[in-house]
Amino acid sequence: MHPHVSAKRLSKSYGKNRVLNAIDAEVDPGEIIGVLGKNGAGKTTLLELILGFTAPTDGLVQVFGHESFRMPNDAKERIGFVPQQEELIGQLSARDQVALIASFYRHWDPVLVMQLSERWEVNLGERVKSMSVGQRQKLSIMLALGHRPELLVLDEPVASLDPIARRQFLEQIIEVASEGHRSVVFSSHIVSDVERLANQIWILKEGTLIWSGDLDSLKESIVRVRLYSEAPIPADPGLTGTLSVEHSGKHVVAVVSHWNESQRARLSALAYETVAVEPLSLEEIFLALHG
Amino acid sequence: MVAGGQIAAGTELPSIRDLAVKQAVNPMTISKAYSLLEAEGVLVRNRGKPMTVAAQPAFPVHPAARARQLESQLDQLVLAARQLQLTQNELIRALRSRWSRTDASARQRETA
Repeated sequence: MHPHVSAKRLSKSYGKNRVLNAIDAEVDPGEIIGVLGKNGAGKTTLLELILGFTAPTDGLVQVFGHESFRMPNDAKERIGFVPQQEELIGQLSARDQVALIASFYRHWDPVLVMQLSERWEVNLGERVKSMSVGQRQKLSIMLALGHRPELLVLDEPVASLDPIARRQFLEQIIEVASEGHRSVVFSSHIVSDVERLANQIWILKEGTLIWSGDLDSLKESIVRVRLYSEAPIPADPGLTGTLSVEHSGKHVVAVVSHWNESQRARLSALAYETVAVEPLSLEEIFLALHG
Repeated sequence: MVAGGQIAAGTELPSIRDLAVKQAVNPMTISKAYSLLEAEGVLVRNRGKPMTVAAQPAFPVHPAARARQLESQLDQLVLAARQLQLTQNELIRALRSRWSRTDASARQRETA
């Protein structure tokens, strides 16, 4: 099976400003990729490069086997996109807005759009400009799903949704991805949503992909270690790969990366009374990587 | 829930897709969970039919293997007790009292 997206040494600069630096990543069918990063980390630029909105400065990104910046129309038709700021036309009714977008596609599923509008309580008779921010965001998502894309790209799709609409949206994304040949790439600041939804995590920091891989390996690799000893613990407690460490006499609490059984064995040999290892939430991992 | 008898043997499980959508959780996560429970003998995979709860959950035979599953909770418990400057005996006493309380409520359930 070919990957839906394949990026190799993908880089983008605006003038002297390097926004993305040598990204290597792949999206396989059936995967849900959660893209995390602070504001300005390069998330939107990465998504725009995948979509072919802009050409890379260096490296290559292919979508369905085509260079994304020169993608033929039939490949574009297999992509759905929800931008960070919706691009709807205020004067139109929601129904006309749907019809306008539908007219660009050879395959459009009016039944799906109707079902979504009912489930999400979007009144298709209403004018776009009089809709609430949340309603407009739902409409944008419906427009991105209407042609049943194989690759769905979403840039902070839930920012304006209330908790109930957000949950409905998450369920919808799962429905999309559980039809095995489809894939989803989405960025979000709501790390708990990413943790539920994504099976692959990309973490961008200052334009560099500091993690890409499955969520389970990430959670096994970055953990919190608590050491306790009756005798005061030396300044160097013998941990490697520490991202943060709090040292208070008999206790050490540290977040460490590249955790594995040999690290544990090494610590066990150091005669601490207790070596406790706790898994972290994705949010804690994200914060630790930005500490 | 299976071990506690809340879900009876033979109960059919929702499909991976249905459960994933309902819980808004990645289907691969559900699939992994089902596979782990299958490997532990809690669930049975049936060809072309929903998975079901196994007749007698086959726990790891060795008590040591079963106890290993509690390792991280025990580590945390011991650490917390030390931080509170409890003695080993005080911790064991607290555990015993908890244990007998669950014994009592189990007996109540049986007589009810």
